[in-house]
Amino acid sequence: MMNVTPEFILLALVVLTALAFDFTNGFHDTANAMATSIATKALSPKAAVTLSAVLNLAGAFLSVEVAITVTNAVIRIQNADGTPKAELMSDGGHGLLLILMAGLAGAIIWNILTWLWGLPSSSSHALFGGLVGATIAGMGWGGVKWIGEGAKLDGVIGKVVLPALLSPAIAIVVAMVGTSLVYRITTGVAQRYQESSFRWGQIGTASLVSLAHGTNDAQKTMGVITLALIASGTWSSTHEIPLWVKVACAVAIASGTYIGGWRIIRTMGKGLVEISPPQGMAAECASAAVILTSSQLGFALSTTHVATGSIIGSGLGRKGAAVRWGVAGRMGLAWLTTLPLAALVGAAMWWIGHLIGGTAGAVTVFAIMCAAALYMRWHSRRDPIGHHNVNDEWADPGNAEPKVPISGGVH
Amino acid sequence: MDQLLAALDAGWRVLLVGLVLGAGLPAMFAFGVRALAWGTGGEAEVHASGVVPKPHAMGLVVASTMFLFVIVAVLLGLSYIVAHGLGYALTFNGILPVFTPK
Repeated sequence: MMNVTPEFILLALVVLTALAFDFTNGFHDTANAMATSIATKALSPKAAVTLSAVLNLAGAFLSVEVAITVTNAVIRIQNADGTPKAELMSDGGHGLLLILMAGLAGAIIWNILTWLWGLPSSSSHALFGGLVGATIAGMGWGGVKWIGEGAKLDGVIGKVVLPALLSPAIAIVVAMVGTSLVYRITTGVAQRYQESSFRWGQIGTASLVSLAHGTNDAQKTMGVITLALIASGTWSSTHEIPLWVKVACAVAIASGTYIGGWRIIRTMGKGLVEISPPQGMAAECASAAVILTSSQLGFALSTTHVATGSIIGSGLGRKGAAVRWGVAGRMGLAWLTTLPLAALVGAAMWWIGHLIGGTAGAVTVFAIMCAAALYMRWHSRRDPIGHHNVNDEWADPGNAEPKVPISGGVH
Repeated sequence: MDQLLAALDAGWRVLLVGLVLGAGLPAMFAFGVRALAWGTGGEAEVHASGVVPKPHAMGLVVASTMFLFVIVAVLLGLSYIVAHGLGYALTFNGILPVFTPK
């Protein structure tokens, strides 16, 4: 049995914060896979989040590949083999644990804030942003890996910025071509018949996106928690992840997914484009193809950016459909600011934790994070969005008249 | 600059494969739906009032082939995710997919 030492309290707080981040990661990203299926009524809202949660859970267990070097993409707190840097290891790994704690807290606060605004921002950008901010505060600018060496895509530029610029564009093109082909080919098929067929295709492709998400994203938190365990000396292998960490992360991401970020689902399913089943199938298929191809080629990208790009593309590919560029613009802004703002919060958290010092500092950071989360949750009750109203007509702010839904492409 | 070129290099590959799979498969599925409607006839197709389109057995055959193809592709995607998670790499021997331990 372990004694309740200050080091243990700090470690427990880091683990709890990491699991909380995994949970926000889940509900933030339900929309990536399921927004289109919910919007086209291929699945009821409840059925969609349940299916997605189960697939995320399965996905999390499927990934035995060890993601222990996850932070190496953007910061220098680990050696190449995954062990923590020696200079951060004094005092029971306090330096490293505080960076992880502050970074995760920054990521969580940004994730909940963008959820409140109903904006699909990337959870991995938020995580990397928080960690980058906490590292700059703790170790200076040199602690951050800004750019990879030579032609190997690495660092903030190679792993975060460039993929974020390219991946939505790729997804837009693929989904646009797919949608336009689908409508051309099915000309002459009765609309009701066409829609019921495509709903089936949609469920299949959306499931692929969910499963891929579970294998990719749950791993990151598993890596962070295992790193914290190694830093505090309670775990030593860099090739294995403790079973309880795997179970806890899988359950955290799946329950987050099940809770469903309804505000984000609404924006992606109803706000960007009025989605019909053929568009939904083309969009999800484009997302699945781009995500899986990139993972095969080792090109790091954010599921959120791809899914959003695909939905916009499905709007561009259909004659007579309109993309609400105002909504897309707000999203774009959120994407650009996710990394720097999560970094800012992460850095502030580190300073608070550092200035107060010791266990009290970490407890304060944890308390601030909880207070911010509760405040935003309370704020969201003014204008609640759930499975009951997720599919209501989209009313543009400043334009009281609801948009007329676009009728089907086939007459 | 090297990083930008590397990203563009990966990007165009993703775009190319993405177009083949991400746009090609929905198109294939659409052909299936089109063939199924033609095969089913009646209310499945847009038609002038009074002239009900006849069903065609051939349409059902074509539709089944198309759907089978799409289902196989989705299953391949699924096995890719599973294999990748379990530490296997996907390589292609000609066009046949092969999974090898990494």
